[in-house]
Amino acid sequence: MSFLPLAFASPWVLLALGLLPVIWWLLRLTPPRPQSELFPPLAILARLIRQEETPAQSPWWLTLLRLLMTALIILAMSGPVWNPREATLAGEGPVALVIDDGWASADDWEKRRQSAEAIVTEAAADDRTIVLITTADSEAPAAVPLDPDAALARLEGLEIQPLKPDHSATARRLGEAVRDFSPGSVFFLSDGLRHEGSDELGNLLAEMAGQREIVMPSGGELIAMAGVRNDPDALVGTLVRPQGADTSDIPLVVTAHDIKGLPLARTEVAFGAGEDAAAFRFDEPVELRNQAVRVAVDGIANAGAVQLLDDSFRRRVVGLVSGQSADLAQPLLSPLYYISRALSPFSDIRQGRDANVAIAVPELIQQGVSAIVLADVGNLSDETEAQLSEWLDKGGMLIRFAGPRLAAASPARGPARGEDTLLPVELRAGNRNLGGALSWDQPKKVAAFEPGSPFFGIEPPNEVTVSRQVLALQEPELEQKTWARLEDGTPLVTASRRKAGWLVLFHTSSDARWSNLAISGTFVEMLRRVVNQSRTNTAAAANADISLPPLRLLDGSGRLGAPGPKAKPLVLSEGVTPVVSVENPPGFYGTEDGFSALNLFAEGDRLTPLAPVEFAPGVATAAYAGNEAVAFRPWLLAAAAILLALDCLAVLWIAGTLRTPALRRSFSRGASPVLALIFLSAMAAPHVAHAQTNGPSATQSEGTDVDFSSALVTRLAYVVTGDAAIDDISRAGMVGLSRFLASRTALEPGEPAGIDISSDELAFYPILYWPVSAQGAIPDAATMARVDTFMKQGGTILFDTRDQLSGPFGGTASSPEALRLQAILSGLDIPPLEPVPPDHVLTKSFYLLDVFPGRYSGGDLWVEALPSGDSPVDRPARASDGVSSLLITGNDFAGAWAVDADLRPMLPTVPPDPAQREMSYRVGVNILMYVLTGNYKADQVHIPALLERLGQ
Amino acid sequence: MSPPIGAAAPRETGRETMARARARASLIPDLLVEAHRVANNVFAGWHGRRKRGVGENFWQFRHYVTGENMATIDWRRSARDDSLYVRDREWQATHMVWLWVDESPSMLFRSNQAMVSKQSRALVLAFAMAELLARSGERLGWLGLTRPMLSRRAAHSLGQALAIAPPQTELPSAEGLRGYSDIVLISDFLGDQEELATKLQAYARRGARGHLVQIVDPVEEIFPYAGRVEFTDPETGTKLTAGSAQGLRDDYERLFAAHTESVRALARAIGWTHTLHRTSQPALRALVSLHVHLGQDAWSPGS
Repeated sequence: MSFLPLAFASPWVLLALGLLPVIWWLLRLTPPRPQSELFPPLAILARLIRQEETPAQSPWWLTLLRLLMTALIILAMSGPVWNPREATLAGEGPVALVIDDGWASADDWEKRRQSAEAIVTEAAADDRTIVLITTADSEAPAAVPLDPDAALARLEGLEIQPLKPDHSATARRLGEAVRDFSPGSVFFLSDGLRHEGSDELGNLLAEMAGQREIVMPSGGELIAMAGVRNDPDALVGTLVRPQGADTSDIPLVVTAHDIKGLPLARTEVAFGAGEDAAAFRFDEPVELRNQAVRVAVDGIANAGAVQLLDDSFRRRVVGLVSGQSADLAQPLLSPLYYISRALSPFSDIRQGRDANVAIAVPELIQQGVSAIVLADVGNLSDETEAQLSEWLDKGGMLIRFAGPRLAAASPARGPARGEDTLLPVELRAGNRNLGGALSWDQPKKVAAFEPGSPFFGIEPPNEVTVSRQVLALQEPELEQKTWARLEDGTPLVTASRRKAGWLVLFHTSSDARWSNLAISGTFVEMLRRVVNQSRTNTAAAANADISLPPLRLLDGSGRLGAPGPKAKPLVLSEGVTPVVSVENPPGFYGTEDGFSALNLFAEGDRLTPLAPVEFAPGVATAAYAGNEAVAFRPWLLAAAAILLALDCLAVLWIAGTLRTPALRRSFSRGASPVLALIFLSAMAAPHVAHAQTNGPSATQSEGTDVDFSSALVTRLAYVVTGDAAIDDISRAGMVGLSRFLASRTALEPGEPAGIDISSDELAFYPILYWPVSAQGAIPDAATMARVDTFMKQGGTILFDTRDQLSGPFGGTASSPEALRLQAILSGLDIPPLEPVPPDHVLTKSFYLLDVFPGRYSGGDLWVEALPSGDSPVDRPARASDGVSSLLITGNDFAGAWAVDADLRPMLPTVPPDPAQREMSYRVGVNILMYVLTGNYKADQVHIPALLERLGQ
Repeated sequence: MSPPIGAAAPRETGRETMARARARASLIPDLLVEAHRVANNVFAGWHGRRKRGVGENFWQFRHYVTGENMATIDWRRSARDDSLYVRDREWQATHMVWLWVDESPSMLFRSNQAMVSKQSRALVLAFAMAELLARSGERLGWLGLTRPMLSRRAAHSLGQALAIAPPQTELPSAEGLRGYSDIVLISDFLGDQEELATKLQAYARRGARGHLVQIVDPVEEIFPYAGRVEFTDPETGTKLTAGSAQGLRDDYERLFAAHTESVRALARAIGWTHTLHRTSQPALRALVSLHVHLGQDAWSPGS
């Protein structure tokens, strides 16, 4: 077999192929067992089968099938391997094995480990010791020769480090090892990337004598994420791949996860042809982006393809201080109300706990807020001013809003320039009033934002007008300080830098008194941009070293997990960028409340491929063994299994079992081609068939026919009580009302539906007629829950106790039916009820009605009580939101509506008055219209008044 | 392996068959309903004695003799002329009916397409017949087992006698047969045809009129076997293996039809009737058919 790249794990098994002729002989001799049958007219049959039949021979093709199957199994057992890894060990002495175990090896780590194990196994066969050096752990102890068993155990326990390999440390250790043990063979299992100190390692390898081999990965997509930034408008980042890599153009999916690991957003990114970096961005709203802590490439499990985001990208903390006493009874008038509403989506808000500005401001500064909003605060005490100034110098942001107090305070500060240091510009005394009763001006609109302004890009709000503002004194820098101006050019927002901090002034008030800016959507956007200018966690900018304990760290495959034993706290010193190391692997450091992220790659990092020729000239290269070696065993076994299945079918066919009438029918209808197809597909691609079986099975319609028809057409529904007499009348009543509705109104209901209240879907019916009988069963709790849901979701139930005549005292609550109704309703969440008041919509929804007769007249129709509003007496109808979910009557509506097949009334009315039946139909129409249109009709009655008010 | 198509059912005797037979029999109108009208004559039977007497069939008109029962006057005939006529009927005598059911092992066969085993169906037919005949006052006997008896409960007695007797696998000898009797033989007639012919001729020589009811399991007729099948004869235990049973089907069906035809020819040659009954059909069908045959005149044409 040397002429083929084919090897056998256990070639002696192939000897069993010599048994095939024997098996062939046996198979020929043993026919399938006959079906045994008792048969009385054997004498007649015997005339057909004259001689005792000799055991039939199996058909030749069946024998061939079985021989093939046996041969396949024997071949599979011999373990053939295509392209086996050839014996590579040469030389004598210990074998040095250098393994890249950094982040880039994660993708096919098993393959690498197998390659390493193969080498170790070979070394074991030659009885050589092994020096095992991993590259990621730069602080590993010196390498010592291990016996093969120990080396195998170490290989087994080797894990990918979420680190970049340190090749200079590796070169140092290899150099020591070479000095001490002079290995006969050196293998470098590379991850295909050039790392820090690769040159040293390459030089060392090139200089060494004896057998040297670099094992390179072949192909594969190595992708890392270099830097992710949460910009104000988007979360942006970069993917990098080795230069010159020619990976596929399939877009990669990048997902942002929140702290719980749930995906927040996805975006796609593809490398351009020949490019080694690709930028991606998440345009999700800032609230969503702020929650992202981990951005990873889907489907790539290594630590390089993950970037972590920490607090510094997250929400700013904004402190709010108002000069006005917080009037909680009228929040809309509070100057802080709109600010806090506008800020809360993207900032954490701290209200000054004390109304006193002098106390609130230092408190907020203490809490380390990023920005402080002073809404209409005029005078600041000197002490407060000093504190704020200091805070501003350190990088705080002060946002001030004008208002009556600020306007009033300005002159008090005197005309001297620069005295009120906490305003970006000098203000004129008083304020400017636009569009007032004594002014000819109109309120001014906001001009388009200029390119230099942070607001640039926001659509200038057309609807926003400013009627009062404080005015800035002219000064040379005013132009640069202005972020927004009105259409007449006067500044609306001014800002100035104060060392590291910002001073921002909105020249109008933060409530709706001076301008409607505060209640426009633009305000939110403007505030967002202003706050985004501010620095984050100013409190953290301490100068002492901070030691952050490891919180959650990345492992080699890019997952966040609990810190390992080697992890040490991360020390943050001012001006020193923390470095990823064995002791500080990438991950989160700190506590749940505030943590800092440490990433493997920083922005601007690139991947450089390792070119073996330049790296270590004169050193042999090879590919990982697992890459090309193909083991045939599973395929052979699969083929044998398919043959076995075919053989079973064939035996069944011969035995005649497959030819039962039903099967024969299905076969003749084309099942056999289908079967053949299944087998072909199973042979060609087993996983495809697997996927098909796993796929969604034939979609099954879940609704019944009744449901469909109910969903397509409006149908009246009645509750089936189980009492045939009542149900017949209910049904006939619904039919009668449907006919009446169809002839008088635009509503043409479908066939009435009888509802089993405990099982049928109720959602399709706008109203449910529920005749209450004294004998009927009380529905159980689950059913009442369904009814409750039906009512809560807008359905209406019309309970009819039908006891107006029979009940004592003309149908009061003590009739048996009414008691039964009370029992039924006791399980429901029932609002207060009242008889239909004269101004209820029900009296006007189609016909004008004042009574609600059914078969009987005189009983009240009860509805949910309307809120007792103080509506004017002259209003013809009172509107309430929604429709009463409950109607209760005792007048036996269905009895009055019921018609027989010839459309004749089935039951007489009491008293026998034809007009009463007509009225009862009208009641039904009104109820239906009320149920279907809600309070629309209540609004309709206002049309004359509305038209009158419009002046027509 | 699928379950075999046919199997031997347990032998049925006595009570349950009797109950089913009664149920069947109750559905049949009395064989000779008319005979009951002749209240006084216990010897009412089928066979006219070719003389005037109490019977059902018309025999002659004769003049009315004074003193006779006025009710016997045939007014329609009398209206033709001046004298009164009385309608005479042929005198009919009781009749002896012998029943016999084959209980050989092959009769125990029951396939999955049949409702019951052949033996069970045969017994039901026999008992139903006995019930009917006893109801109409015939003398009944089990051929080779009992004497003829005249009893309303004759069917019951026959059942009891059968229950204690060994299975009847051979056609009994013709001894004990006396003239003018009917024999009802119920079997699958799969045995030796020569022997069957000899026996039947012996019966016929004794003057008996016979009715053969051939019980056939549907499987025996349509041969639904396919593939490699080993057939076993329940009588002898002989085994035959067919390599491809479906190939034999057409030939077999032809042969079996020929066999049935030969039994029918055998019966017809001696003037007997032959009824083919399949166990997939209701028993009532065979019962009605047998009923018709028994009521027919022996020498009338038709099977």
